[in-house]
Amino acid sequence: MKRTNADSLRRLVLCCIGSLGLLATSGAGADPSTAGRSYNAEFLGPVLDDSLIQHGKETYVVAGCAYCHGVNLQPLGEAADLMRSPMVGADDNGNVIGPVVRAGFPQTLSLSPMPQYSDLSEQQIIAIARWIHYARQQGRYKELVAAPDRRGDAAAGRDYFARACSACHSTERDLARIGRTYDRQKLRAQILAPDALNRQTSFKVDRRGDAKSLGRQRHGALLENYSKEDVSNLVSYLQSAR
Amino acid sequence: MNVTRREFGKLALGGLSSAVGISSLGSRDASAATTATAGANRSLIEGVQFGLQPYCYHDLPMTRENRPLLIERLLANGMGMVELMSPWVEPNFRTPGVTPEQAREKLRQWRLNVAPDYYLAIKKEFDDVGITVFTYYVDFRTSLRDSSDAEVDALFRAGQTLGAKGCVGSMWLSAAQRLASFPGKHGMFLGLHNHANLSDPDALSSEESFIKALSYSPDFKAVLDVRHFVAANGDCLGFLERHHSRVASVHLGDRRRNNGRSTPFGEGDAPLIEILRMIRDNQWSIPAIIEFEHGTLRSGVEEVQLMFDYCKRALA
Ligand code: HEC
Ligand code: HEC
Repeated sequence: MKRTNADSLRRLVLCCIGSLGLLATSGAGADPSTAGRSYNAEFLGPVLDDSLIQHGKETYVVAGCAYCHGVNLQPLGEAADLMRSPMVGADDNGNVIGPVVRAGFPQTLSLSPMPQYSDLSEQQIIAIARWIHYARQQGRYKELVAAPDRRGDAAAGRDYFARACSACHSTERDLARIGRTYDRQKLRAQILAPDALNRQTSFKVDRRGDAKSLGRQRHGALLENYSKEDVSNLVSYLQSAR
Repeated sequence: MNVTRREFGKLALGGLSSAVGISSLGSRDASAATTATAGANRSLIEGVQFGLQPYCYHDLPMTRENRPLLIERLLANGMGMVELMSPWVEPNFRTPGVTPEQAREKLRQWRLNVAPDYYLAIKKEFDDVGITVFTYYVDFRTSLRDSSDAEVDALFRAGQTLGAKGCVGSMWLSAAQRLASFPGKHGMFLGLHNHANLSDPDALSSEESFIKALSYSPDFKAVLDVRHFVAANGDCLGFLERHHSRVASVHLGDRRRNNGRSTPFGEGDAPLIEILRMIRDNQWSIPAIIEFEHGTLRSGVEEVQLMFDYCKRALA
């Protein structure tokens, strides 16, 4: 699934509209320098390589979430900040977001309450949750990878590791020399988003639920919930594994 | 014309290509009308005056720098009337490195000190292309919390200089009380805009809350947002029947009942066709200000055009 269906669909739509004359003749039309300028459907940003995520994004936009929460989770007006919401951080595949979105927030002091979406299908919820998590991970990666590299507390890092990482990793085995393999900056980036997991979701039958997809899912959830201190502490701890 | 709403929706959807046909006609009208003769008439359809709430161009950030593009888009959509919102007019002080408090203070000082010529020049931009500034929308929610009477006066003066008949704001009861004496001083009305909050007793959302708020001042008028009114389970047609003499305009959009979501025209619970025909058949001077918040993958101009065309069909 390379260049996506959404992409070709978009092109089709654009070219139809173009030939029907809306794009070409809209505006003060008479002035060729302004013809077509900014009348495009690309305001959502470039089409993503992974059509699954692109579909999630479009579902999120079509449902109207973007109008209040921002396409890339920069909230407008009074809407909750989904980049920081602990509720979103605790969600797995829509299991928390779904019920919240279906019910809305009628009891509130906000001027315009969050509407209820009782009519969304299971698949729509999953698609919307997928986009929210993807956008949140993108946003938090950018922020955390660029955070000033303060020397962390290695002991706190060890505790965090024992709690959140030791089911899959060990500083005795797979990560035994990790502090020598990477410098601090690269190590930070690898903790946040390991290169080896940076692939499209595979639906190959024997890949569903394998170590890599579990790792990808777990690393995504961790990324959504780290504080800056957590990351510095982990870096300092894993630096000592040489 | 006996079309059920369901059929009507299909008609409107199926008619995308013909709708676009209408729109390009509309925009040719628009460019011909740059002589400013047409004015609001450009979007006067079967006796119903249409305008736009220019929050609709979600893909165009609301800044004064973007105002020329806004005007271009209004013309592309064949609009002769607008409810101008203050961010299209005022400088944006919320830039990186400036705290919200500092930005607020700068805006306040700017409002108190700007010369009337500033607004007159903006009025001229709209006059020159034949677009009537019907109302000036101000975010009283952030302005009122900490504003002096002088700042509120400055906002009404701004609206008046822009040629607006009234200021409009999303309103709540305690704010309406505080604002009661202002519009009269400036020979204007204050349009009270409702939302759908039924849980906050201070909210403007139900018919009862409108009746209460309208009683605070004879210079208050309802800006009935039919979308939010429907979401708050209100009866739009009943409201118009009972209160039309106090209604300045309707914000025309669609939403589902019970705090439901915003939808494309014809997919929600707002009786849009009936509302438009009620305005037409009673010859009320209540402009229909098109507004939308629903999600779409179409650009703002295309979406507005679909909605406007839906309204034209409703009145055909
Ligand atoms: C009209 C604006 C609006 C729309 C549209 C909207 N929301 Fe919200 N949303 C809000 C507001 C306001 C809140 C805060 C609720 C409160 O506390 O009153 C919120 C809260 C939330 C929360 C809870 C976050 C937390 O930590 O409390 C989630 C999750 C959420 N929205 C997701 C969505 C999704 C998904 C959609 C689209 C299907 C959506 N919203 C559409 C305004 C909106
Ligand atoms: C559910 C299993 C799982 C959990 C839990 C997990 N990871 Fe991973 N992690 C993986 C997988 C799978 C890889 C990819 C390994 C590979 O194929 O190279 C990986 C890769 C990494 C890498 C890159 C290793 C290298 O050699 O480049 C680092 C660093 C890392 N994880 C750190 C952590 C930390 C720190 C935690 C806890 C905060 C953690 N992981 C939690 C599964 C997991």
